[in-house]
Order: sequence, then C-alpha cells, then structure tokens
Amino acid sequence: MTNAGWWCVETASGLLEPREREVVLGDLAEAGDPMLRGLFDVLGLALRRQASLWKNWRPWASAFGVALPNSFQLIGFSLLVSETFRRMFEQGLGADGVRLLLCRIALLAILAWSCGFAVGAVSRRTLWASIAACFLPCLFCLSRFGVPHQSPLSLLLFLPFALWGAWQGLRLVRLRLGSAITLAVAATVLAIVGWPGPWIFMLALIWPGWFLVATARKRPAKAQSD
Amino acid sequence: MLGEFEYLIITAAAGLRDQAYGAAIRDAIEETAGRKCSVGALYTTLDRLETKGLVQTWMGEATQQRGGRAKRMVRVTADGVAAAKDFYDAVARISRGAAWAFKQTGGAA
Repeated sequence: MTNAGWWCVETASGLLEPREREVVLGDLAEAGDPMLRGLFDVLGLALRRQASLWKNWRPWASAFGVALPNSFQLIGFSLLVSETFRRMFEQGLGADGVRLLLCRIALLAILAWSCGFAVGAVSRRTLWASIAACFLPCLFCLSRFGVPHQSPLSLLLFLPFALWGAWQGLRLVRLRLGSAITLAVAATVLAIVGWPGPWIFMLALIWPGWFLVATARKRPAKAQSD
Repeated sequence: MLGEFEYLIITAAAGLRDQAYGAAIRDAIEETAGRKCSVGALYTTLDRLETKGLVQTWMGEATQQRGGRAKRMVRVTADGVAAAKDFYDAVARISRGAAWAFKQTGGAA
C-alpha cells in the first residue's frame, strides 16, 4: 500500500474506537492489502459498528424523541424571546415586561441546556445523528423565515445552550442529584410562569430535565463510561 | 446453533491455537474456504461469539510487522468447541446421501 493509500486508511480508521483501530490497522499492515480493500474494510467495520448501535432504543430516543421535536419547539420559543426583547425596547414593557423577558431567557437557556445534556448523555456514540436531527428543523425554518423586524438568527438563540448541554452530557454522562433537581425544578417553575403555549408542548420540553433527575448519581462517581 | 461463518471462525481459531488472532484467522478462512473475509464481518462475528461465550479474546503483543500495533488474540472455549462439533455433526448428518458428499468420501455407487 502506498503512503497516500495508508494515510487514507488511517484517516478512515478514526471512525473506530481506539483499541479496535490499533488492531485493525495492525491486521491491514500485516496483510499488505491494496488501499481500496483496506479502506472498504475499515469503512465496512465502522458502518457495522454504527448499525449495531441503532439496535438499541437510545439513539432513536435521543435523535427522534428529543432532538428533532424539541428543536422545533425551541426555535419557536427562541423567536418568542427575541420578539419579547424587541417589544420591550420599542414599546417599553415596564418592570413586568423585564421580569417576563428574563424569565423566558432563563427558561430558554435551561430547557435547551437540559435537552442538549440528555441527548449527549443518552447516546454518546450517535451524537452526530442527534445533532443532525437538531439542525434539520433549523435549516427548514431558516429557509422559510419571513417574520418582519426579526433577524433569522433569532431562531437559533437556543443553539449555544443546547450545544453546551450536549457537550456537558457527553463529558459527564450524569449530573449530581442536587444539580439535576435544581435544574428540573427551575425549568418547571419558570415554565409555569413564562410558557406561552399549550401545556402539552411544555411537558415535551421539561421531561428531559426530570429524566436527568431520574438518572442522576447520588454520590460523586470515580469514572464515567458510555 | 452456529452460523456458517461463525463455524469457519471457530474452526480456523481452533486450528491456529496460540497463533489465533484477527489477521491469521482471516488468512486461514480466505485460503481454505476460498471466500473473502472482510475485517468488519470478522470482528463483528468475533464480538458475537465472545458475547455467547464461545470464544475469549484479549489484546496480544505488538510486532514490527504490524507497525508496532497490538493483535486481538482469540481462544476457543469449551462451549465453542461443543457448538462447533454440533454444527459439524449436523452438516455431516444432513449430507449423508448427498451426491457431492458421496463422491468426496469415495463410496461405491
């Protein structure tokens, strides 16, 4: 295999777990197969590994139970927060308006963060699919955006919080019980005060927070694994 | 009951004894069975066999021939031997009287 060919195979092997990558690259080096066969071997194994992950409920729940539906809702809520902000500056909403705005910003941040955390923690190795499921509604809404006096970017206010949450979920897997309860209670209370739409939609957004409570660790863990 | 590819892997690993690892098993299957054996099929099947308790695997030593990378060594367990024997017996029983089996064993017509 040429150096360029080997570089392609080695790059593709980045899709594998570190231990498996070492074994497979060793096998291919020993066999001395042509580049294309080595590349297909590595890609085939990566594909099989991904496919086996999808036999579990976790990637489905993460991508299609949380990321996809909740990103539609969070896009709508982001727009509402942006609209509340604009009105406050144009019309002056007073102390109540400021309170409502702050409440909605906090609610948006907490809901987006907890959804992101749940997605990152529930299915770490298929996070790419959950991120794609989150970005699809964003692209769809951006392509049809037509709200006057609003920037299309206002749809994406939730995104930094959601991505931060996903990163934390990937890293920590589980929250401490106290933090999880604080987060879930705050989301619920703020939702009662500041949620503008039907309750059924709000429940879809706050359940990831309570899921984090249910899966929280009681004591600090020494190490976390997938 | 084992699948055909599972049987090939167990048999190749058993034949290789202490030298049973991914690349060697793959070579043995390709040379003796005359079929392509992809790395993906090999390692996902090995995982399945290990989950069933039919083989044990562990990380072996690294060699210069492999660019200093470790091997995944394979050992067939007693359950693996029994499962392979069951498969072989079933194939032998069902093949009795088959024209191709008859020719191979050199029996009279």
